[in-house]
Amino acid sequence: MSQITNTGNLGPMILQSLAPAMLYVPTPTMNNILICDKVSMPTNGGTTCRFMRPRALVPPTIQLGNSGIDPPAQVPQRDIIDAQMAFFGTGCVINEQVILQDQEGVLAWVSERLAVAMRQAEDLILRDYIVSAASEINAGGGSNNDNPTNLGLSDFSLVTTTLDTNNAYKFMSGIAGEDRFGTGPIRNSYFMLSSTELQTDFDSLVGQGVINQANYPNNTSALPSEWGSVFNVRILTSSEAPVARNSSANNNDVYYNAVVGKQAVTHINQDGYSMNLIYRDPYYSGMLAQNATLAVKFAQAQAITQDTAIRNLLCTSLYAGNII
Amino acid sequence: MAEYSRLAKGHFTTNGGLNVVNLPFQPDYVEFLNLTVYTTPTATQVAKAYWDVQMGQGAALYETVTVTTLALVPAYSASGGISTFGAGLLFQYGAQKQIIGATAANPIVFNVTAHGYVVGDIVMFEGLYQSATTGMPQISGMPFVISAVGDADHFSVVWPGAGGNYTALSGSPTGAYVKKVLYPFLYSPGVSFIEAITTGTTTTVVTTAPNNFVVGQQVGFHIPTSWGTTQLNENSNLIIPGSPVYGYVISVTNSTTFVVNINSTGYTAFNTNQTVAAVKAGLSFPQVVAVGDVNTGGVAISSGSVLYPSPVVNGVSTINGPAISGAFVNNTRQGFTVGSVIAPVASQVVYYRAFLHDLSA
Repeated sequence: MSQITNTGNLGPMILQSLAPAMLYVPTPTMNNILICDKVSMPTNGGTTCRFMRPRALVPPTIQLGNSGIDPPAQVPQRDIIDAQMAFFGTGCVINEQVILQDQEGVLAWVSERLAVAMRQAEDLILRDYIVSAASEINAGGGSNNDNPTNLGLSDFSLVTTTLDTNNAYKFMSGIAGEDRFGTGPIRNSYFMLSSTELQTDFDSLVGQGVINQANYPNNTSALPSEWGSVFNVRILTSSEAPVARNSSANNNDVYYNAVVGKQAVTHINQDGYSMNLIYRDPYYSGMLAQNATLAVKFAQAQAITQDTAIRNLLCTSLYAGNII
Repeated sequence: MAEYSRLAKGHFTTNGGLNVVNLPFQPDYVEFLNLTVYTTPTATQVAKAYWDVQMGQGAALYETVTVTTLALVPAYSASGGISTFGAGLLFQYGAQKQIIGATAANPIVFNVTAHGYVVGDIVMFEGLYQSATTGMPQISGMPFVISAVGDADHFSVVWPGAGGNYTALSGSPTGAYVKKVLYPFLYSPGVSFIEAITTGTTTTVVTTAPNNFVVGQQVGFHIPTSWGTTQLNENSNLIIPGSPVYGYVISVTNSTTFVVNINSTGYTAFNTNQTVAAVKAGLSFPQVVAVGDVNTGGVAISSGSVLYPSPVVNGVSTINGPAISGAFVNNTRQGFTVGSVIAPVASQVVYYRAFLHDLSA
């Protein structure tokens, strides 16, 4: 019998080799921050950021006549909006043995994860705030006899008509049509922040006014998370868009689609105190200096600064129940 | 010596239901002593309790006073004890519970086996169809505060359920559920749903759940046509077309009722008697939203309060510092809760200690 040396009697001393690149971390697109106005609150400025919006004056539509007497003066008025600054943070305590002995750069990737966690917190706070503070329109244009219904074309039209009637400002200019097969012009638009779970519903409406961004005449202005457009809405999708599970009249999931115009939501940071990544060497831990810390902290406030320019369009889905 | 552990102690007065203790961390061990029971031992009441995270959420070891000797007797419960919580995200609900029946009256009394709710809890309903064309699905999807608890199987919410388009529920209708909203006021003030409007030289508004408005709050109304009183709506300005109409809160009657300085004399009456058919076509609800405030100061001090109180949301101070009264504030928080098995009696003083250990096995 020949003596064949194989890995059963002479295996490698070191069995594993770490692949050169880390695998990606599934991370939702973070759309809420995209639609926000940005304001920085100064240091030493108290706890609360205050916004002021002048009120319109009464247009003088009544003629003066020939009496020579001035009309009564108007008293200018203003609206005030306050938002309280809040502080957030998280971190990791890492024993020096991990740093010394681990083969990959643990401090590097933990730093990256902390930064993403901070960014995601910022977006989730905005998401939940918008759900809490903006008024709602239940979709009624769909066909599923639920409340709200699935999205119908009339729902997109209704919500944008609502914002137009409240004199909201649109975010995006239109895209003129070009002589390219399968494309169509895009109207000037508000943004709608939707769930990726609704994309099949959107697909089912393609050809009825719904246009995927691949079919824009040119999509240079399309955002990475932009699914497409319908009427005066450009749809941004994210898997972390708000969904109230089993909450409709027929016990289906309810999706919150925030339709927003300019200045509807303002994100406020604290000047000089936002987005801090903090590394503390083990030297600063106990007497044996065993543990390093990596942490992030940030300050944030948020306010609906134009409530006339935002509505949550609530809907159910015809298809999302099959997403697994 | 524990370098990264967290320790906290304090006391609170029990409310007879779920007691919430906010902390800067979520503990893995809690113990408490009931000062009232120690001071005046009363048979069957809980004198002390312990909880470790390894026991599971809601569990507790506790000691009750015996009937005859007033000695302490050990006991254990897997529920109704101590739980940690992290109120950082919306859309967290309690268990979905089948509705057995409901009265078509005001308030609406719901029959749900062992509902476990207490007055002040926020719930949402789904379904509520008795048949395809009857029932009370008109209120599905709105948050409601529980106004009364009749017994372990009955609770009430305030809504004009006696309207002709509402019919009672019976026989455990298919798809009729209720669930508790675990963290309903993480951001405040916000949007609230309207249950009643009284018109007049000032306008009184009742919401289905606490609205957290304060005097000086600026509010706007979004009322669909079928609910009436659309003259209150923001976009109804006849004097300055296009300029939104807002009102200011001039008094707060209770957590769900406020008075706004809009003269609504002669406005269309508010109508909650919506049809079941309207629900199937997508019925939007009447809402009032906070849009600002006219205040310049923070929350007023009171006996025993700190000098610069934090904003109050749903009757409880937030964990952040002072702010202008009526400002948009965060109310996210964490800590632990004490359940009704180990704190079943209201108005008792409980001292607690909470720990998050460096080393936990």
